[in-house]
Amino acid sequence: MPPAAGFATKRLGKELQKIHNSLPPGIDLVSAENFEEWFLDIRVLDSNPLYKDQTYRLKFKFSSSYPIEPPEVVFVKLPDRPIPIHPHIYSNGIICLDLLGQQGWSPVQNVESVCMSLQSMLTGNTKDERPPGDEDFVRANRLRPKDIDFFYHDNNV
Amino acid sequence: MEVLDEAFEVSDSTDWLGTPLAGLVAVEQSFRCHVCKDFYNSPMLTSCNHTFCSICIRRCLNADGKCPLCRASDQESKLRGNWALREAVDAFVSARDGMLRFARTPVVTASPSSPKRKAAELDSPETAMQENKRPRMSTRSSKTRAAQAAAQMAQEEIDDSEESDGDDFEPDDGLVACPICLSRMKPWMVDKHLDTTCPGSPQPDQASTSTGPNHRSIASRSAPSPFPPPSPSKTKPPDRLPAVAYAMLKDAALRKKLTDLGLSAAGPRQILERRHQEWVTMWNANCDSARPKKRAELLRDLDVWERTVGGRAPTMSRALNMGAQIRDKEFDGAAWAAKHDTSFKDLIANARRSRAQAERKAGGDEGVGESANSNPDPSGLAGPPTQQQTEVFDLQSGSPASRPSQPGPPEYGNGVEGLPGTDNGDRATALIPELNPFALHSQ
Repeated sequence: MPPAAGFATKRLGKELQKIHNSLPPGIDLVSAENFEEWFLDIRVLDSNPLYKDQTYRLKFKFSSSYPIEPPEVVFVKLPDRPIPIHPHIYSNGIICLDLLGQQGWSPVQNVESVCMSLQSMLTGNTKDERPPGDEDFVRANRLRPKDIDFFYHDNNV
Repeated sequence: MEVLDEAFEVSDSTDWLGTPLAGLVAVEQSFRCHVCKDFYNSPMLTSCNHTFCSICIRRCLNADGKCPLCRASDQESKLRGNWALREAVDAFVSARDGMLRFARTPVVTASPSSPKRKAAELDSPETAMQENKRPRMSTRSSKTRAAQAAAQMAQEEIDDSEESDGDDFEPDDGLVACPICLSRMKPWMVDKHLDTTCPGSPQPDQASTSTGPNHRSIASRSAPSPFPPPSPSKTKPPDRLPAVAYAMLKDAALRKKLTDLGLSAAGPRQILERRHQEWVTMWNANCDSARPKKRAELLRDLDVWERTVGGRAPTMSRALNMGAQIRDKEFDGAAWAAKHDTSFKDLIANARRSRAQAERKAGGDEGVGESANSNPDPSGLAGPPTQQQTEVFDLQSGSPASRPSQPGPPEYGNGVEGLPGTDNGDRATALIPELNPFALHSQ
């Protein structure tokens, strides 16, 4: 890797240091071996029966234009890491959240704030369901999350 | 992971955690940009009163034209320098190392015999004392500067008072002032002066001989931030570059712009635009700086950008080669093709369908003719369709319309089979299989 560090690398370096120092409860860094892809675990802290005693794995992918551009954030399915059930989370882990779209993203957001947003998105949910058209979407989608035109039909997240 | 190690050396507001000066976490936080998380570099105020590094907010506004904090719309041209904050950040940064070193030094030495709980109480006066000592050493220069600045202000005040006095001040030189142009002259000259040489209004030159410097100091004071202008007259900041509407710019013009700026004009159109924009952003941000970098340094910065974000960035090149005309920065060509595969097929099918419909409208008997084509017995019905087809061929080959009458009907009597020998015939065979399926569908 060339010694040149772009603004994304610099910014992620700062974030990583902060993350190593402290993270809010329920959020843990799993791995961050480079400045392109990080994995974090999140848990819901209250006793919401939908997510009780579960841990979910998040994958962050950063472009070289981060934080001007949003990171790509998806849930990853592993034997002990299910995809949380939520009306805005498809069963392949893709998250429909305006914060992660080009429109809703702001460079002041960061990995920690995204994790906290997802945490609270889960905490506040009471519906035991997938988004409408989940099966079709999961079967047909070949796009990366950032290229999907989500229709943000629900503002009560 | 060399890169990570390097990155870990960056300072952070959490450095103060666990030291007696933990309160400085919040102080330092307020000196850091929300976009790059670094200390403000040439902080700029937005219209919505938020502050970011000049280069950060310029990049953000280029991307979506909105304030990163409150999402209010804003424009680069409306940014204003936050000079007071710039000084505060500079002062804090220069004092930071010393403060941090002090904060991390154990304070047991001064009060070895203090009771356990009192240690905490003792910490604070101790801290305050040393804190007073330490920064005084390390910030002497800034103190001196402040003193100079104060002196300068005082000087200006003096000038000011002199000036205000000067308005009705009459020098004792035996002369009188012309009541109109205020030129000073001997009393007996006034009448003649008024009749002949008086310009009719106060003369700035005359007035400024006595009060010139003061006028200038007033002018500088009415500027938005008169307090120490970093280097008022040493170097004039370089001119900002104007924003460019890339959509209005032809390739050649854009390449010329880049060449004129001394930048590389190599690469696909999209990279050229982004390179130019990044240069304008860097350049203009540099204009906001108290200590502008040299052009060579900016070029190095652009090179870093080129290797990390721009044309030579490892992840970008592939996507760019695939579709320079697609404006999206990270164009996923494969997914795009896959996604639109069905719509391409739909478009083709639609085109075929509408062409078939047009063909059917063109002649009411065409449907009969096409069915005749599929019919092995052409004898009676073969006439009309061949006529129809020869008309089409004439249009395509540009030959005169009289041509169908030239060859006798018997030659075409066998319909399509007679045609393939000629050029026109080749086209006929190309057309017919395309049309037939739909003609059959419609029946």
